[in-house]
Amino acid sequence: MNGKERILKTLRHEPVDRPAWVPFAGVHAGSLIGKNATEMLSDGQNLFDGLMQVHKLYQPDGMPVVFDLQVEAEILGCELHWAEFAPPSVKTHPLADTQDMLCDCRQPSAEKGRLPMILDVMKKIKTAVGDETALYGLICGPFTLASHLRGNELFMDLILEEEYVQELMTYTTQTALKMVDLYADAGMDVIAVVDPLVSQISPDHFTTACHTAFKTIFDYIRAKGLASSFFVCGNATRQLDVMCETAPDSISIDENVDMASAKAITDRYNIAIGGNIPLTTLMLHGTQQENMKYVVNMLDTLSHDNLIIAPGCDMPYHVPAMNAIGATQAVRETDTTREMVKNYEAPKLDIEVELPDYDNLKKPLVEVFTLDSATCAACTYMMEAMNVAGEHFGAKIDLVEYKFTEKVNIARCIKMGVTNLPCVYVNGQLKWSSIIPSREELFGYIDSLLG
Amino acid sequence: MEELMKKMSESLQRGKAKDVKAMVQEAIDGGYSAQKILNEGLLSGMEVIGIKFKANEIYVPDVLIAARAMKAGTDLLRPLLVSEGVEAIGTVVIGTVKGDLHDIGKNLVTMMMEGKGLEVIDLGTDVPAEKFIETAIEKKARIIACSALLTTTMGEMKSVVEAAVAAGIRDQITIMVGGAPVTDHFAKSIGADIYQPDAASAAEAAAHVALGKSA
Repeated sequence: MNGKERILKTLRHEPVDRPAWVPFAGVHAGSLIGKNATEMLSDGQNLFDGLMQVHKLYQPDGMPVVFDLQVEAEILGCELHWAEFAPPSVKTHPLADTQDMLCDCRQPSAEKGRLPMILDVMKKIKTAVGDETALYGLICGPFTLASHLRGNELFMDLILEEEYVQELMTYTTQTALKMVDLYADAGMDVIAVVDPLVSQISPDHFTTACHTAFKTIFDYIRAKGLASSFFVCGNATRQLDVMCETAPDSISIDENVDMASAKAITDRYNIAIGGNIPLTTLMLHGTQQENMKYVVNMLDTLSHDNLIIAPGCDMPYHVPAMNAIGATQAVRETDTTREMVKNYEAPKLDIEVELPDYDNLKKPLVEVFTLDSATCAACTYMMEAMNVAGEHFGAKIDLVEYKFTEKVNIARCIKMGVTNLPCVYVNGQLKWSSIIPSREELFGYIDSLLG
Repeated sequence: MEELMKKMSESLQRGKAKDVKAMVQEAIDGGYSAQKILNEGLLSGMEVIGIKFKANEIYVPDVLIAARAMKAGTDLLRPLLVSEGVEAIGTVVIGTVKGDLHDIGKNLVTMMMEGKGLEVIDLGTDVPAEKFIETAIEKKARIIACSALLTTTMGEMKSVVEAAVAAGIRDQITIMVGGAPVTDHFAKSIGADIYQPDAASAAEAAAHVALGKSA
């Protein structure tokens, strides 16, 4: 079963061999190729290169192509504030001071805003990995889009101007349907309707002001033969029931919602649920071990039907790649990872390891520490890169791999203070971690050691 | 008249701005002091709003509409409060940090703080660290409250703490931080004084500081 089949079966509520893995790497993909958020979200080549790197390192079953809720708003006349390490924010709201409706002529079409670039990348990614990986086209949800257009006034409008809100929601629903058409034509398998603000209104307000819009969108996606997801942010515990009533194929939640309680609700509606690895405390600031442990625990405590493992939302730009690699390994090789975590945490391993005398080496010593180069893609690529160096330099260097799957190597990692894998130590010093060096960089460095 | 205060509080909670305004006028005409009307008719209503919001019983629209009703009442009371010599319990300078345009959370905190009787100077969004400090000095505020909604802008909160140190006012200022990605651990790591997870708790903590209680 490949990743795409795993996602599509999950979204059809059919049995799968293991829970699917969807790392939400939006701007974070830029960090893997040395490009900032603006460079990622405004340049097709950068976006494509970043996504291919995500695909290579994180082995996703499904992946979003672009995670930017401002694409539609920009087309509809909102000015954006661009940031170096985050998606752009909406700076101005065209309907802030008026209840006039926007012209239908403003609605998205393939040639407007950044859509030419995005649709082109979608088609290229589809060709590159679309047979094996489910591609998610993310659209801005109708309520959040309405707030982009109207500003915070929208919240009071819910109470004071109900008819106006209905009119505005009808407009943003049409926007969503046009985006579905465009993304479907570009080969997306899943359309995710991302509406973070839904958690900020009551279930009653959701039902009166938003139900029809979301139901219309999810029905439309289904009629086009695609699968759907409803992404929300924040504490949406109380909104989950009314969200389920709009009949998406899946719902994705962040760490503000308890996953087990949420799954109990979505299971009642036979809707798949995705989430909810904590973004900041764990993925951004935690260690690789902590990320592996958290995901293993999710898999050990949640029923595997209708389940997708994913970050709570779009991963922050600076999430260390090794943390996402750790999460990847935990989903793909759960049993092995469980053992790794257990052994790493064991109070004392009864294994003595002797470290090389790094100060008196006869030739450069390249030590590669991997989770397991046979199953972890990032480890495989790191090991392959080092093997190329090994072949090139032959007997001039020593090259050795330590797989974390073996207890003796865990003991070595603990003794050396190695915490993040894959990584490469040269002569006892950490040289590369997670990001695989280019051949030029690698060979140049070893040449410098050889004098 | 006690019944009037109760009705005023209930109308405020339901966001009935016109009714609140009329009842405030009725109370003024009835000879009640502006301070009594403020405390018993308006702030008591916002107190309930804060409690319900914290408990997820009500949501953003309900808070905004209640705050609008409170404003309708306080607009009438303001000149009377001045002539009675009633002062706010303290002054807070609030804003969303540089590079961050999110303002809903910050606005909610502002409303809740005003509902606690604090004077709140709202600097808006995308506020440089120095601006927080300059304003706090100028307005003699003892509390600075910073909001950040992005993991990439959280670091600006540390700049605010550092700017307070550089200006020599760190020991006179309580620095509060909040926003979706912010945690207590983060607040401590940057040397901020208070983190609260929601608007109502933030307002409560600020009121404690203003009244000289421990937060």
